[in-house]
Order: sequence, then structure tokens, then C-alpha cells
Amino acid sequence: MSATTGYFVAGSSWLHRRNPITKLLGLAFILLAAFLLPPIVLIVLAGAIVLAIWSAGLLRSAARAMRIPALLLLSILVVNAFFFPGATDKLASLGPLSITVEGLTFGLISAGRIVVAFLASIAFLFTTLADDMLEALNARGASYRISFVILSAVQMVPRMQERAGSILEAQQARGLSLEGSFGRRLRALIPLIGPVILGSLVDVRERTFALEARGFGARPGRTAYRVVADPPIDRWLRILTIGACVAVVVIALTGIVR
Amino acid sequence: MTTASLLEIDDLAVGYPGRSAAALDGVTLHVRAGEQVGVTGRTGAGKSTLALSAAGFLPRVVRAKLGGRVTIDGIDAATAAPAALLGIVGIVFATPANQLSASKLTVREELAFGLENLGVARADMDEQIDATLVRLGIAHLGEREPFALSGGEQQRVAIASIVAMGTRILVLDEPTAQLDPAGTIAVAELLAELSRGGSAVLCVEHDPNVLGRMDRCLVLDAARTVALDRPGTALAAAESAVELRAPTLVRLALAAGLDPAGAFDEPALAAALLARRAPTTAATASVDPDPPASPSWAPVRDRDPVHVAIEDLVHRYPTGIDAVRGISLTIEPGESVAILGENGSGKTTLVKHLNGLLRPAAGRVLLDGDPTDRRSVADLAGSVGFVFQNPDEQLFERSVEREVGFGPRNLGFPASTVAASVAGGLAAVGLTDQRATNPYDLDLSRRKLVALAGILAMDPAVLVLDEPTTGQDADGIAMVGAVVEAYRAAGRSVVAITHDMEFAARFGRIVIMRSGVVVADGPPREVFSPAHRELLASTGLTPPPAARIAALAGLEEVPLDVPDLLAALDRR
Amino acid sequence: MDLSWLTICADGQTEGCIPSIQIAYLVAIAIGAVLLAVVGRRSRDLTTAVLTMMTVAIAINIAVGSIAIALRLPIYLDSIGTVLVGALAGPWAGALTGILSNLIWSILPIPGGAGPIAAFFAPVAGVIGLMAGFWASRGVFQLRSDDVRVGGFLSIALGIVGAAAAFLIIQATVGIPDLAVEDPDALLANQTSFVLIAIACVVAGVVVGWLAGRTVFAFTGPDPKIRSYLIGATSISAFALVFALLRLLFSPDGYFSGVSGVKEDGTPDTFLGGIDLTGLAISDPAGLIGVAIVALIVGAAVYLWARHGENARLFPVWVGGLTTGLVAAAISAPIAAGVFGGVTGGGTDALVALFRTLGLNVFQSAFAQGLTSDPLDKTISYTVVFFILGALPITVRTMYSRGETTVAE
Repeated sequence: MSATTGYFVAGSSWLHRRNPITKLLGLAFILLAAFLLPPIVLIVLAGAIVLAIWSAGLLRSAARAMRIPALLLLSILVVNAFFFPGATDKLASLGPLSITVEGLTFGLISAGRIVVAFLASIAFLFTTLADDMLEALNARGASYRISFVILSAVQMVPRMQERAGSILEAQQARGLSLEGSFGRRLRALIPLIGPVILGSLVDVRERTFALEARGFGARPGRTAYRVVADPPIDRWLRILTIGACVAVVVIALTGIVR
Repeated sequence: MTTASLLEIDDLAVGYPGRSAAALDGVTLHVRAGEQVGVTGRTGAGKSTLALSAAGFLPRVVRAKLGGRVTIDGIDAATAAPAALLGIVGIVFATPANQLSASKLTVREELAFGLENLGVARADMDEQIDATLVRLGIAHLGEREPFALSGGEQQRVAIASIVAMGTRILVLDEPTAQLDPAGTIAVAELLAELSRGGSAVLCVEHDPNVLGRMDRCLVLDAARTVALDRPGTALAAAESAVELRAPTLVRLALAAGLDPAGAFDEPALAAALLARRAPTTAATASVDPDPPASPSWAPVRDRDPVHVAIEDLVHRYPTGIDAVRGISLTIEPGESVAILGENGSGKTTLVKHLNGLLRPAAGRVLLDGDPTDRRSVADLAGSVGFVFQNPDEQLFERSVEREVGFGPRNLGFPASTVAASVAGGLAAVGLTDQRATNPYDLDLSRRKLVALAGILAMDPAVLVLDEPTTGQDADGIAMVGAVVEAYRAAGRSVVAITHDMEFAARFGRIVIMRSGVVVADGPPREVFSPAHRELLASTGLTPPPAARIAALAGLEEVPLDVPDLLAALDRR
Repeated sequence: MDLSWLTICADGQTEGCIPSIQIAYLVAIAIGAVLLAVVGRRSRDLTTAVLTMMTVAIAINIAVGSIAIALRLPIYLDSIGTVLVGALAGPWAGALTGILSNLIWSILPIPGGAGPIAAFFAPVAGVIGLMAGFWASRGVFQLRSDDVRVGGFLSIALGIVGAAAAFLIIQATVGIPDLAVEDPDALLANQTSFVLIAIACVVAGVVVGWLAGRTVFAFTGPDPKIRSYLIGATSISAFALVFALLRLLFSPDGYFSGVSGVKEDGTPDTFLGGIDLTGLAISDPAGLIGVAIVALIVGAAVYLWARHGENARLFPVWVGGLTTGLVAAAISAPIAAGVFGGVTGGGTDALVALFRTLGLNVFQSAFAQGLTSDPLDKTISYTVVFFILGALPITVRTMYSRGETTVAE
């Protein structure tokens, strides 16, 4: 995981080779199904996603990534299990607190949805470079200027963090102390955050000029250097996925499956 | 046969809204294809405005009132459509990282960025990119990540990105201000290559190493043209007209009664000096004017000087590589030490141990016999003042006055002392009249002086400067030099990291580092002597101009400035 | 054709109806899509200078936000860039900045961050940008303490105070219905009256604010009264907020009165380990006087502070921040409730648990939690942006059409 390529893990699995739009549509389908269909579907979805991740050889990376929502999932389970209002069916008591069936059920469903959403997103992010996804969207009419903002912001974040480190050193060299009372530390934030923000804003002028000099946004009809692969099978996959999304919405609305 | 001018600036006058003084007042300059023209002058003379005008940015991108005419390859810049100048003229600025689009993963794609905006067909892109990479000698950087490159490499990529668009007129605004000597030479050679290929180059610069290679040089002062001629001639004329201190080689030629036009051809200059028969007369000797008188700094409080001792210092990076490999050094009160070395030699790493920013893996640093390891950085700031290279890492207050007072307030000075220190610091750098200005409203060279004033106001016993002269004009460099002298005269120590050899020559002692060890340590005359020539070359450094000429003339002595050199020649 | 299934499910109904939550999700998705389309359309008019500023603003959001996460602060501090762009380049640019920041949060592996899940809150970030642009065009960052427009802000503030006062009056007289009853019918009735009371407070606030704007705060020209009103308003708001907060906690049937260790039916209560804090529910008149005195002291301190220089001009900035925070909370609540079951994994979950035991359901507890951290976070962000705008060099400000009108001198 590098700062500029995010979660991306290099590889050539079948997931890697899919067109980014196809993967985006797949992600949309999974999210729709997870939130609109009855909870039992979550188990099927989770199983399918794990299978897909395993077949792409990314199971270990995914397991490590599960650290990220771990606290969130725990909170969802605990808060709902112990504190669900109006719940009467007690399951177990741990000292002064007790777990209720309604709370636990609700907590499991919510947590399950998050797990599915997270796994699907992480599978997408592991196998797709932001640059490719944005270029694919550009080809379909998305604004390349917005894509530019996203990509350059992503690259700028680590720069800014490095800069924050240098600023910390520079201000300490002027006697800024980071120890002491909480109020002192809070006031120390200003000479630290101030140069980060102001320094970057001052750069905006020169960066704007540099972009103008390279003709950014000057002419319509921008072409693209980056070529994003679109294997023939992806077209069918996309049609299939869109159909599946529509089906999910219909099922949810008509309540055919409860 | 005269080739057509690609860039024609005729009687250009520029005024910015809200400012009464004109930024440019009737400047005329024609740049032909295959020609390199340098632009120089004091800070605020109008150089950047000229560069922006030449790139067609006025009034379209920057609001300004224009008089006169700028014609870029036959197109009138004032009425041109935004897209019309693309692929014809391009501009590169001083900060390498700001030139990158920051949205591409490799250098190849970075070059493609301009082509994408031009709407060039994908099939044609690779050819243009390859050709540019080869021509500019950066083909080996093709797959590298742009932000991971060094400053010099990034600047070359920035220039390449413009050239890849087919641009034949290249405007540059202080492109080498933040580069080390190796990067500066690389850029200068790149510009020469481009002009040989038929491009027109307009380059704003302070560095004589770059200006000396240009075909012509325009000197501006207070929005007007002072001189426009071959570099040596123009700079000589500027010195007599507006007292803009000329580079050493030019002053040497003038003092020796030679034609300054040939000043930058060092072997020829040396030969001419040897061939010269007339001894230096009193009149020609006075051609070396003193640096502009700057109010010297005086200490506000009484404090004892501090003795610095570094013992067997080793610094290890987390990767396991030793940046500093067992260095022992002492600095007495009243000494001024310049530390030289290439990028990566460990000089900044070494110096950061003095105020605790870095801690040693082995060895120790002693201030007056006390080891620094127990003391925090903020605590050490009272004894060791560190001026960082980039002032924008420190500035955050609304006014210069409050900014300079930040350090003293942190150190707990009483209010009256704070006021006195701030006044003293501002006076030393000549910014007393800017005390109410927002620091970010000043240009970079003056912001650096604000940062310096801020540390001076803290009254440290040891003053450490990291590249104090980059981006400064001659007056600014002289100001910094005067501060160093005043500090030393007050019995305190100064340590400076620099790659400006002439500035270093004014220090009492020079330490040269290479790969984490000290390879030379002594007074300038010893370090820059012909006996050390190979050693110096192995560290990527060259002696200051006066010493170089002396070596070319076969002299034994190591003169450090013009009068020295002339005296040595006379003695021969 | 039988279309009876198009009705929304009533409580307990399972056949032939659409669960309201599904509708809510679909509506939310639709709104999101429309917002994205509109913003995308508008982005064509953005100049390169604005786009470059957006890049930097997004990076600021993420950099400062990760510092707040690392320091485990109860506030997010991830909207400073959004507000800044809204102020300098208008509401739509601000909205886009917020939305893109959010999307990038979700694709970057930031330690402690929510990961890809953060993307669900993109609409909130967008609205923050919209409101920042709106407030900036109303001059929040620029008002001098003798500006006529101050009257509008004073009215809004008075309105908020009016709503709070209405709440207190109702609490003291009719009483706030208990939302922790277990009988479903009583629960429904109590929830209905709770909503009615909330609406009544809002209406009261609006009426008070509107009246004030037409009378007391209707200024026609520069008036020395404006500055004194502003100073007074700042101190009175401080007093009112402190008073209301303390009353909520310490009044005879305030928060602490409910933490008794026993439930209504006599069985031991499990909240906070069964501790009995009813002693903290101080009975009137001693409790009322005590709270009033503390609030007066705070108000006086703020009054003295507001008289210094131009400190009072921060008041409109705070009004802007506060309202933005309230709206942000209102929008995040359904998202948090619907997606996360009301929990976001940050330092605020204890608050959610707290509100749950007071009988608030998932949505209400999420809203209540947002009500405590979002307004504070946005008020701080607006204040930071106020100072940044003041410190911006003129060469940067002039690149933006609103740069000179939005920024204080």
C-alpha cells in the first residue's frame, strides 16, 4: 500500500483484468443487494465475495485489511446488543448489563451489511488503480477535470504530511514546546497547522500557472494517454450486472421475497 | 542572415491593480530562434512580470493593465485566445514540485499530460514523448514516479513536459533557485541544447553560472531596462549604472581593464590576465565596490558564548544506512564554519544534531561540556538557533513583527526584551519598514530574511543556517554575509550549510563532507588550493571563481576575491 | 392490476407493502445521484485556479482530519478545506470539494479512519460546502461589527435562543414525554408528542427570530448600537447555552434524575453499573439559582472578551458554523442509522449508548449524538477558516472572484 496508489495490490488475477466500470457496477449491485434485500442474502453475498477474493489470491491482504472496520463492527454489535430500546427478550446477562435478542439481531444485521460493503469495496480497491478507474469514467463522459482533482489530491496528501513533519521540526527549533498543559498543547496547534495550510495555499498560484502553461482545460477534445483494457467479456458482464441491479430494486419494492 | 524573432516585446508597460508603481515601464526585447537571453536585476525589478508577459499570461491569467505589445510567434498576446498560445510558448517556475501535474504515476505520463490537453491522437503520443526524453537526456527517468525525483530531475521533467508539446519558446523564472550546483549545471546545459535545436529561451536568473552561458542578458531595475548586451557587458554596465553588484568574473575583468564581454570564458580570461602587462592602478582597484552597507546586528542581551563539541557522531537511518559515520568536530566561540558537500553527503543530518532535531545512534554532542541528549529541541532552541531552508515551513503570523517575535515569546523573554529583539532582528535584515506586512505578501527572498530575523531575535549562542543564500539576489546575499560577520564579531559561532562557493569563501573555516565523513577541514585558502583540486572534484564541488582563475593562470596562491587575485597576479 | 402493494408498511404489517426503510434508502440514493449530476454539470464552469485550490483544500481536509483521528479528538476537523473553498469559490465548488474529499477518504488507507465506508457520508460533506458558500455570500467572514447585515445574524441567534427557551418552558410545565416506556401504544403516543414538541420549539424559534429581525434588529444604516448588540448577543448566547445545558442535566427531572439505578417497575437498572445519580438532580429553587449563577459568570466572561477589538465579529461566524453543524447532524443521522445502525466507530459511540438508554431509538440517538459533536466541529472549522482568510496573501485572494468580497479586512 503506497500513499499514491492506496490499497492497490499489483497482480494479474481475473479481477485485476476486468474493466473498472464493470467492477464499479458489480460493487453497486452488491451494495444494493446488501441494503435492500432481506438479511439472509448477506450470507450468500459475503460467501461469494470471499470466494472471489480467494480466487484472486488476495485473501491474506483482505484479512489484514479487516482491521480497519474492526472497531466499527465491534461498536455496532455491542451498542445494539446491550442498548436496544424496547427490547424484552433477554439472552444473557454479564453483570449489570444484559444482551437482548432484538438488539443482537439488529446489531448482527447492521454489522453484516458493513462487512459485505467493506469486503466488496476492498476487493475493488485492491484490484483497481484510481487512475484507471477515473480514465475509464472519463471515456464515458465524466469530467476529466474532476478526475484530475481527485488524482492530484491523492498525491498531495503524503506531500502535506511530510510537510507537516518538517514544520513540526522548524517550529520546535523556534522554541515551541509540545509538552505541558492541554491548553498549551491546543495553542501549539496553530503554529503547526498554520504553515501547513497557508504554505499550501500560497503554492496554489504557482501550480495554477504551471497547469495553465500545460494547457489544462484550454481546449475541448482531450485525449488520453492511459489505455484502460476492456476485454470483450466485460460488456456482457456489465449488461448482466445492470439487469441484476434492476432485479434487486424490483424485488425490494414488491416484497416478493421477504 | 537574421532569423526571425520568435518573441517580440515592444515598449511593454505593466501595472497591477491596486499598486501605484508600474511593474514594467517601457521594456523592449526581441528573442530570436536559437537564442538564449537571460534576465536579471534586483528583487522587485520586474523580472517575474516580464516572464509572465512573455508567456502570454498577462492580462488573460493575471489581471493587469498593459501598454505596448507582446508578440509571440506572430500572435498578439493581449488578444490571443487561451488555446492559441499552447504548444508555442511555455513557462517553468522556481519550485520543482509545483510544476508537476501531481496526477500522473510516471514521468512518461507526466510528459503526456500536455499532449492530452492539446488533443494529440494517442497513436502519436509515444513518439513525441520518446523523442523528448532522449533529447533532454532523461530517458532513464521514464518510469520513475515524479515526486520521488530530486529537485534537479524534477525541473528537467518540467522543462521536458513543455518541450514535448512542441513548444519552441521557453520562458523560465528562476529555474535553478532551489537546486544544488549539479542540478543547476544540468538545467543550464539543457537550455543550451534546446537553443541549439532552434528554440528561443528567455531565462530569469540570479546565478552567474547560468547567466554567463546566455547569448545576451537583459538587466532590469525599477521596471526599466538598464542594459541589454552580452552577459559580461550588460552586467558591467548595470554595476556602474545602478550599483547592482556584478559577478566576480565580470568585476575581475573590469578591474584588470579587460573587456567584460569575455569574462565568462574562464580559460580565455586567465590567459588575458597573464598577458596583461599594466599593473593594477589605484583607479582600477577601486572598481570593487563594498557590499551595500547593511545595519549590522548587535546582541540585545548579554550571554556567554558556547563551545560546541561533536564526538564520534554516528547517525543511522531507519533503513540501516549510516548518514553520518563517526564525525568529531569542535567549534569555538567566534568561529564561522561553512559546511559543503553534495546532496546526500550528510551535512544537513550532521547539523540537525546540534539542536536536537536528530539524535545520534552513537557518539554525542556537547554544548559547553553538557551533552544534549537530555534536552528537548525547544529547550536547545535557546542556545542553538536553526534557520531552515524553506521559510514557508515556519511562517504563520499575520505580520512580520509578530512572526519575528514568535521565537522570543516561546523562550519566555520579558515583553521589553521581545520588542528590542524584534527591532534588532528586523534592522539586521533591512525589513524594518515591512513590520506590519503579512509575511506571505512578501516574495520568497524576503520571506527567507524574515525567517532569519526570527532566529536572530532569539539571540542564540550558536547560529546555524541551512542554505541561506538560495534564491537571494546580490543585495540579499550581502545582507546575510554582514549578519554572519556581526555574529562572529560578537564572539558567537556561526555554522552554515551552503553550496554557494563564494559565500563559503567568506567564512573562517570550511568543512567538506562526502558520504558521511569529513574529507577536508581548514581555512578557505587551504581547502580551495590546487593541491586539493582532485579531492574537491570528487565531492562534486568547484572552487570559487577567483580561485579557479588563479589555478588556470598557474598561480600558487589561493585568492578568495578580486583584489586578492589582482595582487597575486601583480606579484608574479 | 393490483397495486395495493404500493402502500407503505404500517407497524407490524408484513404482507403487501413497502418497508419505509427501503424507500428511504432509494430516496437517499436518488438524491445523491441528482446532487452528483448537478455538481458535475456545474464543474464545467470552474476555472483552473479553483480546481487547484480544491486539490489543496481536499488535501488539507485529509491531513488535518488524520491529525484529529491520531489525537483521538471528539471532533472531526475534516471540513476546513471544504468551508474554505465554499467561501472563496462559491457553494457548488464547496460542495464538490466536500464530496471529493469524502470519496478520497474512502479510497486511501488512513489508520483509524473508517475506510471505504466513509463514502456513505458524501452527501453530508456536500451540504457543508453548500452552506459554507451560502453563508460566505451573506458575509459571515467579512462583517465588521458595525455592519447592517449583522441584524440578520442577531435575529437567527435570537431565534435559536427562542427555540431553546421554548424547550425549557415546556420541560418545566408540561414535561418531556418519557421515551423509555415499553408499552408500544404508549411509546407511539409519547414519540408523537415528542415530535410535536420539537416542531413547536422550532416554530417558536422561527417566530421569535422573524419578529426580532423586523423590529429590534432592523438596522438601516451604520449604527453604534450594532456593535453593542453584537457584544451583548455573544455574551447572552454564551449564557443561554450554558444555562440550557446545565438545566438539561441538573434539573429535577433532567438527565440525572433518570439515572436512579432502578427502572420504573422496580427492577435494577443496568445503565452505568446501576449507579444512583439522582442526587445530582438538584431540586428547585436552589438548583435553578445555582445553574443561573454559573451561566451568568460564563456570560460575563464572554462579554468582557467580546469587547476586545474585533472579537465580536466572530459571532456571525459562529452562527454560520452552528447552523451548518445542525444541518450536517440532521443529514448524517439517517445515514448513520440506516447504514451503521446508528454507530460510527469513533469517539462518539458512548454518546449514542447514552441516548439509547434514554429511550431514543436508532435514528433519534444518532441525531442526538450528531447534535453534540457536529455543531462544535463546524463552529471550530468556520473559526479556523475565518483566520485563514485573514492571513491569505493578496496574490492568492485575487485569483478568486469572491476573494475580495468575502474576506475581512
